[in-house]
Amino acid sequence: MPTHSSSGSDVSNPADGDVPDAAEAPAPEPPSGENVEGTAPDTEPTVETPEADVTDDSELERTIGLSGGLAIGIGTMIGAGIFVFPGIAAGEAGPAAALSFGLGAVIALLVALPTSELATAMPKSGGGYYFISRALGTLPGAVVGISLWFGLVFATAFYLVGFGYYAVDTLAQLGVTVGEGLVVPIALLFGAAVTVLNVTGTENAAKLQNGIVALLLSILVAFLAYGGLDAVGVFGAESAPEQFAPFGTVPIFTTAALVFTSYLGFAQVATVAGEMKQPARNLPLAMVGSVVVVGVLYVATIFVATSAVGSGELGRIGETAMVDVGRELLGAPGALAIVLGGLLATMSSANASVLSTSRAIYAVSKDALLPKRASRVNLRWGTPHVALGLAGGPILVLVATGQVQVLAEVASFLHLVQYGLICVALVVLRREDPDWYDPDFRTPGYPFVPVLGALSSFALVGFMQRTSQVVGAALMLATVGWWAYYARDVSLRGVSS
Amino acid sequence: MTRVLVPVAVLESEAVSLGLMNLLSTMDVTVLGYQVLPEQTPPDQARAQYEDRATSALEDIAEEFRQAGGDADHRLVFTHDRKQSIDRVADDVDANAYAITGATGAVDSILVPLTGDVDVDRIVAFLTDLIGDRDIDVTLFAAASEANADAVRSALEDVAADLDARGPAVTVETATSQRPLEALVDAIPGHDAIVMGERAPSLQSLVFGDEAHRVAAESVGPVLVVRREREPDAAPELDADDDRNDESTLDEESAVDDDAAPDDDADRDSTSTDEATDEATDEATERAGDGGDGDSPTGR
Repeated sequence: MPTHSSSGSDVSNPADGDVPDAAEAPAPEPPSGENVEGTAPDTEPTVETPEADVTDDSELERTIGLSGGLAIGIGTMIGAGIFVFPGIAAGEAGPAAALSFGLGAVIALLVALPTSELATAMPKSGGGYYFISRALGTLPGAVVGISLWFGLVFATAFYLVGFGYYAVDTLAQLGVTVGEGLVVPIALLFGAAVTVLNVTGTENAAKLQNGIVALLLSILVAFLAYGGLDAVGVFGAESAPEQFAPFGTVPIFTTAALVFTSYLGFAQVATVAGEMKQPARNLPLAMVGSVVVVGVLYVATIFVATSAVGSGELGRIGETAMVDVGRELLGAPGALAIVLGGLLATMSSANASVLSTSRAIYAVSKDALLPKRASRVNLRWGTPHVALGLAGGPILVLVATGQVQVLAEVASFLHLVQYGLICVALVVLRREDPDWYDPDFRTPGYPFVPVLGALSSFALVGFMQRTSQVVGAALMLATVGWWAYYARDVSLRGVSS
Repeated sequence: MTRVLVPVAVLESEAVSLGLMNLLSTMDVTVLGYQVLPEQTPPDQARAQYEDRATSALEDIAEEFRQAGGDADHRLVFTHDRKQSIDRVADDVDANAYAITGATGAVDSILVPLTGDVDVDRIVAFLTDLIGDRDIDVTLFAAASEANADAVRSALEDVAADLDARGPAVTVETATSQRPLEALVDAIPGHDAIVMGERAPSLQSLVFGDEAHRVAAESVGPVLVVRREREPDAAPELDADDDRNDESTLDEESAVDDDAAPDDDADRDSTSTDEATDEATDEATERAGDGGDGDSPTGR
């Protein structure tokens, strides 16, 4: 505490009735200590109201509504789950890939509920990192916070490679055959463009994102309605049913581990929790709502895709298999609609993830786990150029590998560890019940939901490829090393105001 | 007391002209410093870096308003949405009008467009408070189609008579035009400032931006926008506030008998500031400024 030099603000604000006796709570220490550079966590006392956060000298407007939150969640998720994974998943698990996606949805839901509760109790930027560092302490916080950065970087690289496949396919649809050799260069180019645009672009793309998501959803629902009727034989030739799980049950789980990347978006909603209007209502609705919406869409898509084309053929085509499903169902216009949808969807996924990455970096840098420089904002564009660069640089390196499956699985690995710890954090907080913990939304089915959520998150990690597990574990060990070197003396557990 | 919100893009070095400060010397002023951030930037991140700089600039501006003669406090907001923040803070401090700053010297004449569906009573009441006993001319302006030009003119004459009775020297000007905005812009030369009413959001304002900002873009001088009456349904939070205010007013009435009127005024001031957290600072500024209210409008 004595290190807190800025503005000399007294934490006890006599006028705020909103915060229940936070000032006199003895047990939880406010964030304190210093990192190796002598920087202390930024501990500006903040009062949250539904419309704005209020600090001593300024107000931070909350501007993202429910539709904005849903657009972030759905917009991030839909690109991967519908436009990249169906082919790969069907190739590994057969028509039972629908079950894998269903399993992923259930696990995501088991985590989304505890995350919602924590987010309404602590509506701050940083999402899962913030909850874990405040509930479990600095080491788990540092591991999750920095891993979240890496996880989002891997996820973004994965979306970008997906975009590359769709770009090449779009060219093919237009009669220009360039071959898959151009996938990675195109993805690199686009990744660099997204980063630069985020640093220099001051136009608000949020409304555009909402529009893209609405457009995608309507294309998909129309497409699935037609395809679904076709699959059950209402019109067209009845398709020959194939064996549901031709490769047995184990691939269902390994595929679930792979495709779990399609559900990472709901935690992205938590990273903007500090900017959501009426967080008590909108955060749970946006997180749970987006998981339910995309979960249903994914399962339906796999069902339609495997019925229309057959899982062996889907697996052979791989990343852009949905284009052939579109052609099978609706001819050339169908293929074109899917190609354009895939471009838009992977683009919006990549963009939303870059934004989340920069917020994740800000959250850990604010708490002195990374150098303060990482969260600098430039006055020219008003953007956090350092954090965006720390997102964009590694993304390009990873894109260059072009390894779709490994990228996706490492992203899932790093996120799943975070999800498991979020569930643990919920149980810990419910048991300790500190004074500052006052969530507006309470997880139904406690303690079964968070316990199941934690167990299934950790279990899913076990079904991944060995390479992904090794890379993921190595990254987490590296974050432990960073913590030991850089931020051992920082203490983050508890909330002061 | 009539309160005017003066939003200032403080980190973009937006300045408030001396003419506007002197014009507002009869008002309570809340200077709202704001920075609009792109969506890439969490407001908290910008706060961490710019709060000190912005606050010291705001304190200077508020001090200049006080020196010009009025009472002034300040707020600072980091936002993705300028309009949302201005509306929220205006509700919060119960502002009757907000200002769009512009360059002007001493304000001797004000143009008041009354075309269309605006709340004339609120505008007249605001003008009366704004001008006080100063020697400032008012031009009431309306554009009308040929057919109802006479009706519009006589309506304006009525308003002019009402306003005239309260002090200011009033002239009436009408234009025959199908394009009210263009007619208004043509009428601007010769006037130093514009006072206009806020309109309800319409399809047009969604497409082109709201009228006040289009007028401000065309005129060099400052524009004061008199806010609409807030609908109770529109903002449930505001509703709760109103209730609270009503209560305190009742308390006040019952307390008047107890011969405690001066203290009571201060009480009412503090309860009508609804944001709990800002209460302390606002209250302090308001009280400190109470003494300055009677200063001569010529200020420094």
